[in-house]
Amino acid sequence: MSHTRRRLGLAVLFFACSVPGPVGAAADPRLALPEFKDLAGKAKESVVITMDPSLLGMASRFMDSSDPEDAAAIAVIKGLQGIYVRSFTFDRDGAYQPADVEAIRRQLADPGWKRVVETRSKKTHADVDIYLMTDGDKVRGLALIASEPRALTIVNIVGAIDLDKLRKLEGQFGVPKFDVDSSTP
Amino acid sequence: MSDDLETRLTRALRPVAPSEEFSARLLARVGAEARLATPVLPLRRRRPAAAWWWSAGLAASLLLAVGIRHRAAESQERRAGLEARQQVFAALALTNQKVDLAVRTVRAESSDAP
Repeated sequence: MSHTRRRLGLAVLFFACSVPGPVGAAADPRLALPEFKDLAGKAKESVVITMDPSLLGMASRFMDSSDPEDAAAIAVIKGLQGIYVRSFTFDRDGAYQPADVEAIRRQLADPGWKRVVETRSKKTHADVDIYLMTDGDKVRGLALIASEPRALTIVNIVGAIDLDKLRKLEGQFGVPKFDVDSSTP
Repeated sequence: MSDDLETRLTRALRPVAPSEEFSARLLARVGAEARLATPVLPLRRRRPAAAWWWSAGLAASLLLAVGIRHRAAESQERRAGLEARQQVFAALALTNQKVDLAVRTVRAESSDAP
């Protein structure tokens, strides 16, 4: 039963066309992400990306629409207002605590957000939660929290992200290839 | 014989005062050649030429400075644009990797399920 729910969640994520749900009028798809200075100090590798609308516009001006890789990225970022990433990799287990992301989870408890994917791996102890903020059938924002024993990643995409197009980035610029069964068992 | 030659030479080479007409023509010609060789411009005509060269030099320097500055700004904007492009790629790649992690977890769990 749980497995079925997860599959259903993934299908909803990738095709994100029929996600119902209430949207708070004041709900903001942009999360207030902390600086995570402590985690950055302990991390072996840190990735902090803050792309506001002006930076996204600048990036798209320097992409070549005749290049397939660039064209795919242009298609994905078109209509976005921001991409915010905080990712930390550690050289030992348990370098961060669940409490470190508690402030973010509280924001995602807002009724505007809907958790569409929740995976918990007993083997790898990797947990991934994916949330969408929708307005009718339009996606207004995406949030992702991936907690692994030696890595913590938080992604917040603001704007009308087209998940089908995001999926088409598979195999490009280092994105691993994967296919998702869209049918629900 | 020798005395006769000496006397004739002394007579021929004796200093003779030029005629007044010859002196006048010589002075007139010397004066004309001097005017042709070195035209003397009045002082007030030299100053504008120097000022023009100074102005042209200053304008050229200003144009060069503006050009260099424009080029530097363009180069900086290009660097920032390429960096932003790279960050977009990194962000999208990371997002897809974590979505892939979720997909793989679902598959692993489903294959383990009885």
